[in-house]
Amino acid sequence: MTRTRMPGISRRSTLALMGAGTMSVAAPWVARAQAKTIKIGMPTILSGRVAQLGTSSRNAVMLEIEKVNAAGGLAGRQIEMVIRDSKGQPQEAARVARELVNTDGCELMIDAEASSGAFAVHEVARDLGVFCIHTNSETSALTADPKQHIPNAFRTARQGVHDSIVGGSYAAAIAKAKGLKKWATCSPDYAYGRDTTAEFTLYLKRFAPDVEIISESWPKLFQPDYTEVVTKILQAKPQALYSCLWGGDLTSYIDQANIYAMFGQMEVFAVNMADYTALTVVKNLPKGIHSGNRYIKTFPTTPENAAWGDAYKAKFNEYPTNWSWENATAIMLMAEAAKKANSADGKKIAEVLKGLTIKCPFGADGTVTMRGDDHTLVGYAIGWGTTIPQEPYVPEVKAGDWKTIFELEAEWKKSKGYT
Amino acid sequence: MTELEAGRAQTLVPVRSAAALQRYRDVLIALIAFAVLASLPLFTGSKALLDFVIRCSAYGLFATSLNLLVGYTGLISFGHGMFFGLGAYSFGLIMQKLGVPIPMAFVTTLAITTVVAAIIGAICVRLKEIYFAFVTLAFQMLIHSTILSWASFTGGDQGLRGGIPRPVFLGIDLSNHVHLYVTSCALLILGLLAMRQIAQSPFGYTLRMIRDNAARASFLGIDVWRAKLAVFVLAALFASMGGMVMALFVSGAYPEFAYWTISGEAIFINMLGGVSTFLGPMVGTVLLLLLNDTVTRFTEYHGIVLGIVILFFALGLRKGLLDFAADWFAHRRETGEGR
Repeated sequence: MTRTRMPGISRRSTLALMGAGTMSVAAPWVARAQAKTIKIGMPTILSGRVAQLGTSSRNAVMLEIEKVNAAGGLAGRQIEMVIRDSKGQPQEAARVARELVNTDGCELMIDAEASSGAFAVHEVARDLGVFCIHTNSETSALTADPKQHIPNAFRTARQGVHDSIVGGSYAAAIAKAKGLKKWATCSPDYAYGRDTTAEFTLYLKRFAPDVEIISESWPKLFQPDYTEVVTKILQAKPQALYSCLWGGDLTSYIDQANIYAMFGQMEVFAVNMADYTALTVVKNLPKGIHSGNRYIKTFPTTPENAAWGDAYKAKFNEYPTNWSWENATAIMLMAEAAKKANSADGKKIAEVLKGLTIKCPFGADGTVTMRGDDHTLVGYAIGWGTTIPQEPYVPEVKAGDWKTIFELEAEWKKSKGYT
Repeated sequence: MTELEAGRAQTLVPVRSAAALQRYRDVLIALIAFAVLASLPLFTGSKALLDFVIRCSAYGLFATSLNLLVGYTGLISFGHGMFFGLGAYSFGLIMQKLGVPIPMAFVTTLAITTVVAAIIGAICVRLKEIYFAFVTLAFQMLIHSTILSWASFTGGDQGLRGGIPRPVFLGIDLSNHVHLYVTSCALLILGLLAMRQIAQSPFGYTLRMIRDNAARASFLGIDVWRAKLAVFVLAALFASMGGMVMALFVSGAYPEFAYWTISGEAIFINMLGGVSTFLGPMVGTVLLLLLNDTVTRFTEYHGIVLGIVILFFALGLRKGLLDFAADWFAHRRETGEGR
């Protein structure tokens, strides 16, 4: 008895599955013609190691959307957010972004992806032409590189090169005042860590030419044990240390370095320290760590900023993060542009948004501007200060000078061949 | 009924004609499947459905090619994703840097994959079982780390930026969604058909023999190492094709494509769909993507749902869906015959 394998089985089940597939993909398809509400799609990271940041992005957006809706919505249309998890995978981010536009009928997009995910969503925006604001990617190339430029995409996140210029000049001033010549660096071993450290030391040496880097450590991203890194730095005996470790990596690093009393032996510059996710988690926050501001409700020292931080805390029972203010700013800009354009149409909003300046609690002078030529946010509060172990954590922040930032940024763009 | 039984022959002539018949049948099924898929855009305007099929093509090619190793040869590769990533990156880089026509980039990518797979395979297929699995994993991590650290060439962890240019060739414009869709379907069907031919060829039965008893195959005069290497390279080629479809879909390539999790997904797909039938991985692909897409619509706790599904398949069915269905049908028929 011989029987060949039944072709009917696979064919039948394949057909059944295809049918099921068609159904479940087509079912959520809803008529979106001339809906009164406008849907805004938002892919972000809601699971995995950076879920806390994704959640804080969602919180900030919801906080602002409530205000916009209460004030009549986007050009008269109530906003409905459709927020979906991308798991931090670029191919998922691209898929989710396409799904939000093609299936859910979202007419505008907030891209709250980090790193490679933002570039994946950027390609979707290029392909579909949907209006899109990148809120979390700080990679300078996203807007600085003219190859990336598309008319419908903007960024409301801080930019890596801005941070480096301000950090470098701040650190150089202290290096000169205190005679800090021997420096060490310790940053995570991936593009953000490498690039940011390179840019920081570039500007540090520019402002303080006799600085010398005597030791470099590159711990892996999400490394649990920093003992060898700490001992290596202690042996090199630098006068100052720069680090762009962030989040859980930074807090475990500080907790472990505390055991070796590292912070008494050198000046420490940790750009990502002044964020509540790090400040409130460290067990014994050492006094006097230099840090760039990420989000802190005491800088800028305006009542508007403090009120915004408190309102967020009251609603979500935790302080906002760096991603929170970046996302909130996106909604503020979008709402203002829609009001000016008197339309919720992505193209019209994009036209008005170019070069638009709005009042904003996170602005260095109370306003922020969406720069017209490269579609990125400028004029936001940026500065450095030193930590204390209790609230307000960073009592005094020295603001960076935007005029210097613009000059050096233009120079940097030229050196990269972007202009 | 095992495949060996199916292949058992009384005389040579009927076997030949049966094989030819089966080949015609496979080609016919492939043509019908392609006709159905390609005509879909005529009936529905749902871009999401087309997106879904494009992604199914990418993952389907990738997962089915893994099954050539896992199901047919008994080589459990944990690093198969490296060829998916390699395909996506080679194709993207060639298109970005050289600006050659798309078919040229396609063929060049396959050539690159062949060379890389031959080198890696030559080292890996000497090993068995867990050792093979871990060395493939090690090579995958090597490729992944290279992509990350060679930032000036690959863009590092930000991936290939700036989009993949798609010049029109032979009237096909891959920046057009429907054209991309039909091309992906064609690649999927051609790939599946080619893999089916490999699986049903004498070489395919040699692989099954190696899986079941490598020593016996060796005593029959089969060069086991060469056969394993050949199938390793072939599987890599189809995985690379899957990677190219994915690169075209997202218009870029990202280090995640070469990370171990993507290999894990392929293994999971094979578990879901089943490894003892040819279309098992394809069914698994559709299942996993459907599950993923529907679950992530409703909750960010998709990990729990997928975990439960894995448990159901591992502990409940104890095999892939198509395996289960095939067994069930076979069982029903046998009891029916016994009556």
